[in-house]
Amino acid sequence: MPLLLHANPPLHWALAGGVIAAITLLLLVIGNKRLGVSSGLEDICSLALNGPYFRRRAVTSGRGWRLPFVVGLLIGGFLSAVLGGGWSPTWALGRLDLALGLGHAGTLAWMFVGGLFVGVGTRLANGCTSGHGIFGLSNFEWPSLVATVSFMAGGIVTTQLLYRVVLR
Amino acid sequence: MAALFLVLGVVFGLVLSRSGAGDYDYIQGMFLFERFQLYGIIGTAVVVTSVGLWLIKRRGRTLGGAPIEIEPKSLNTGTVVGGVLFGIGWSITGMCPGPMFVNIGEGKVYAVAALAGALTGAALFGTAYEWFQKPFGLTPLKKASTETTR
Repeated sequence: MPLLLHANPPLHWALAGGVIAAITLLLLVIGNKRLGVSSGLEDICSLALNGPYFRRRAVTSGRGWRLPFVVGLLIGGFLSAVLGGGWSPTWALGRLDLALGLGHAGTLAWMFVGGLFVGVGTRLANGCTSGHGIFGLSNFEWPSLVATVSFMAGGIVTTQLLYRVVLR
Repeated sequence: MAALFLVLGVVFGLVLSRSGAGDYDYIQGMFLFERFQLYGIIGTAVVVTSVGLWLIKRRGRTLGGAPIEIEPKSLNTGTVVGGVLFGIGWSITGMCPGPMFVNIGEGKVYAVAALAGALTGAALFGTAYEWFQKPFGLTPLKKASTETTR
């Protein structure tokens, strides 16, 4: 199946997984950093918010690497588009468009609500796919196994309900 | 050092973008058990990282010679409830946090709304932390903030 982005063929999963592992290990062995992207969400919040939660050491000491890292993610996506066929704004959502066709305003509302779940959920669980799913599982940490099983279950049930029940 | 983290982020972003990890259809394909791609990516990443972590921890030091420090994560009710909420959001948006940034870079307009939602969610959580703390068994903020002085 081609990607939504320029209908390019995807990288082989083994190559992608290997590079992700290499980056995770380099972050640790060079920077002494534990991979984790969702903590970057509160790092960004801490630029504007002053509550005690945003003044914790975990935030103030992590911003210095996580903020450049997430800026890198943005640039990586941009380069991927440029190299893969040219950058231009797109609304393509594949399966969701075919099944629902929400229109622009509806799509933005849908995404904002989903984003709220991601924001609250990852902070409550203290991690996401990277910090729990990749780093935590690789390090045999129980909380990460519990979190990973929980978010996979939440995603599987929601998508199955949406595409196999509601939108059938 | 910031330049290094930026470069690692760029490579990470390129790979997430070109592997389908930030692609709405591939994420739904994973949750529908129709596509192996994401299971292959995460599985490979975990296996290779666990071998590398074992070696790095055996060495015990970074390349610069500092002792390796891995921040532990706590286990509480929030781990399960937050995990489920995050899974629901991942399904709705087709994006976990990393791909939100990647998709904005790619030019996917709707990803801006997903990231705005995620930032709002994180802001609400952080601001209302005291409210979440007891029922979910989270670490009290006072204890955590005594070490806050920069």
